[in-house]
Amino acid sequence: MTRFILKRLGSGLVVLFAVSALTFFLLYIASGSIARNILGDQASPEQVALKEAELGLDQPILARYISWLSNAAGGNFGSSWFSSEPVANSLATRIPVTMTMVITAMILIAIIATLIGGAAAVRRGWVDRIVQVGAIVGDSVPGFVIGIILVTILAIQLGLFPATSTISPDAPANAWALSMTLPVIALLINGVTGGAQQIRSAVIKQLERDYVRTLRSRGIGEREILFKHVLRSAAPAGLTVLSLQLIGMLGGVVIIEQIFALPGLGPLAVAATGQSDLPVVMGVVMYTVVVVIVVNLLVDLLNGWLNPKVRAS
Amino acid sequence: MKLGPKAVATAITVSAALALTACGGNANSGNANSGAGAPAATALTLGTIQDVRSWDPAQAHVGHVLQPYQAAYDSLVLREPDGKLSPMLATAWKYNATDTVLTVDLRTDVTFSDGAKFDAEAAKANLDHFKNANGPQMAQLGAVSEVKVVDADTIDLSLTAPDPSLEFYLSQAAGLMGSPKALGTEGIKTEPVGSGPYVMDKASTVKDSQTVFTAREGYWNKDLQKFSKLTLKILADPTARTNALVSGQIDATLLDPKTGKQAEGAKMKLASNQVDWQGLLLFDRDGAKNPALKDVRVRQAINYAFDRKTILDQVMLGQGTPTSQPFGKESGAWVEELENKYSYDPAKAKALLKEAGYESGLTLEVPAIPMFETQISVVKQQLADIGITLNLGAALTNTFTSDIAAQKFNAMYFSLFQGEPWVAINQIVSTKALYNPFKNAPTELQAKIDAVQTGGTDAAKLAQEVNKYVVDQAWFAPLFRVNQMYFHNTKVTVAPQIQQAVPSIYNYSPAK
Repeated sequence: MTRFILKRLGSGLVVLFAVSALTFFLLYIASGSIARNILGDQASPEQVALKEAELGLDQPILARYISWLSNAAGGNFGSSWFSSEPVANSLATRIPVTMTMVITAMILIAIIATLIGGAAAVRRGWVDRIVQVGAIVGDSVPGFVIGIILVTILAIQLGLFPATSTISPDAPANAWALSMTLPVIALLINGVTGGAQQIRSAVIKQLERDYVRTLRSRGIGEREILFKHVLRSAAPAGLTVLSLQLIGMLGGVVIIEQIFALPGLGPLAVAATGQSDLPVVMGVVMYTVVVVIVVNLLVDLLNGWLNPKVRAS
Repeated sequence: MKLGPKAVATAITVSAALALTACGGNANSGNANSGAGAPAATALTLGTIQDVRSWDPAQAHVGHVLQPYQAAYDSLVLREPDGKLSPMLATAWKYNATDTVLTVDLRTDVTFSDGAKFDAEAAKANLDHFKNANGPQMAQLGAVSEVKVVDADTIDLSLTAPDPSLEFYLSQAAGLMGSPKALGTEGIKTEPVGSGPYVMDKASTVKDSQTVFTAREGYWNKDLQKFSKLTLKILADPTARTNALVSGQIDATLLDPKTGKQAEGAKMKLASNQVDWQGLLLFDRDGAKNPALKDVRVRQAINYAFDRKTILDQVMLGQGTPTSQPFGKESGAWVEELENKYSYDPAKAKALLKEAGYESGLTLEVPAIPMFETQISVVKQQLADIGITLNLGAALTNTFTSDIAAQKFNAMYFSLFQGEPWVAINQIVSTKALYNPFKNAPTELQAKIDAVQTGGTDAAKLAQEVNKYVVDQAWFAPLFRVNQMYFHNTKVTVAPQIQQAVPSIYNYSPAK
């Protein structure tokens, strides 16, 4: 197992390095005159040259990348070119907002999708049909549209929730919970419907297997069969879907955070990319890649723990 | 088979629990102004479009982004809502006979929030810092060669050449005064240290989410300090701003014609103001890259091609005023007769093109600019009607300003600020202007520009001649001035600020 983890971590590092190089050089090609963008349209050529020297933009691109890489390897991601705020600080204040939302949504997706998907597979009939139709509707409506509908009805018309975030350090816990509720719902709808569909298929497949028939013939109760055997065997499929959803959610959360004015990674990524604020973009990209690598690793480990056959292979 | 109903029941319970938790906590949702029937707001919450980059006053910007700085920093000169310049930290100012030295008298009873005293040395320290810090508005003090302390409450600003905008700039970024003890330190980047009406509440402030200020005790001018608390909530997305305003989370914010409809429906009040003009900029007036643009008749034909009123009604829901001139109504350079100089007349446009030898048509290229897709497609259609083909070039990217400077575009559709005449001249007309990339400088026009520069108090009036020249010569094809839709609730009164989409911080007061 240790060998497996080390191997995965090694390949993760290679991915991290490749993505960093690719992002850095692509941003360089697309970014134009950053110094002029920072200084605005009134800036003189001398001012622009001064700013370029200050930011090290007068160095060759390869030298800049090597310098960035050696600093990043030591944990120093530099400071934003536009605000001078250290990238580490920006990430540290924003990651909790985004991850609270994403993790809450993932936990709820796991629970609700398992319940709904499981119910559809076991009961079939009308429950199954409702889940099937719901999956199509849920998958086809983008999260941000759901977000806008939720805000209009629950926040503006009924006044049950704040229309945009009220998150601040001195806000009470329930204000946090309130601010997070609508974004989390908007974020999880697609995941729940997609996840339920996958779990339904996986459970149906397991229920048709011989071992279920054998267990039934031994007089073991349906509930035990389902929870102890079927769901466990169906778990790898569900976990893979969940991990893919989490990775996809890191993209979807950008729009949701904009609509609800949540100070998470999304608005930071959008603003930094628009301005070609390279240190910030690199920080966000590196963080996201690390999350993806870690999630994939965790899913593999969980699959192994849940299903010994996977471990053996 | 017992699982189905149980699962459904659990799902319902979870949803109900979520909803109940939500209802239970609503009273604490955080809006300072939520008390129903409150007689007047003591706290002001504004929705702003972006956070400041740095609180160092030398990094301050203008337009939308000046407002936050006004909370923490006093400026030397106060700009009234109608544009009149009034004393603030400067009590009086006067030019010498050649308009090359501005002598400024200063207050002596003002301190900064860190206890430092405001005096001539502090003012000099700020102006020098602004000149050297390479901030985005450094050009505002471009004409100032030296700042000299005359005595404890007087400074002299020596200029390399007259600058009719200098007094205006001292009411803007260049005039913001920070504590001399804090200037140049790391701390002032994240926490402002000024003498302004409010001080930042750092504990409640979250970068890019909200900035919270409280009224500063012992502030020298109580008339400018109308609220006990000021919150600037950063809401980049227009939908988020609309939702926050309509649901009562904020008291005022900038919307657009489309989102404004929703705010109107929710009985919000509108403080409307015209700040920008939109239209075509015909850069290549010497025909360096597109020979057709050299002929004034072609440029005039382009101007006659547009049914400005219909475009305005359809694209901007009528929120604006059709115009043929690039200078703003309150600038002093505005001329009434120029307003409809080029009315919609496709027949005349075709005749002019025929006279110029372009009867069989010509091609114009403009860059594709996000936000203006609709306008550009309408412009394309109307130009096609007179035989001009508009080709959409490369999209606008981050290289935008350098591309303009490098003469990559012969013409473009854009929205531009209509500022003070000298500011506008240096933005779109003079050879220094970014939006005059081909550096067109006919002698006749240069003489008119020089007259404005040395015109002293007559500068604005003299700028009318520049306006007449560029309209006659059809340097641009303006379509309309756009209404800035600033909405607020009934708890606050807001006075629009001329030439600013977002009013100055002093223009808000509790509703009576």
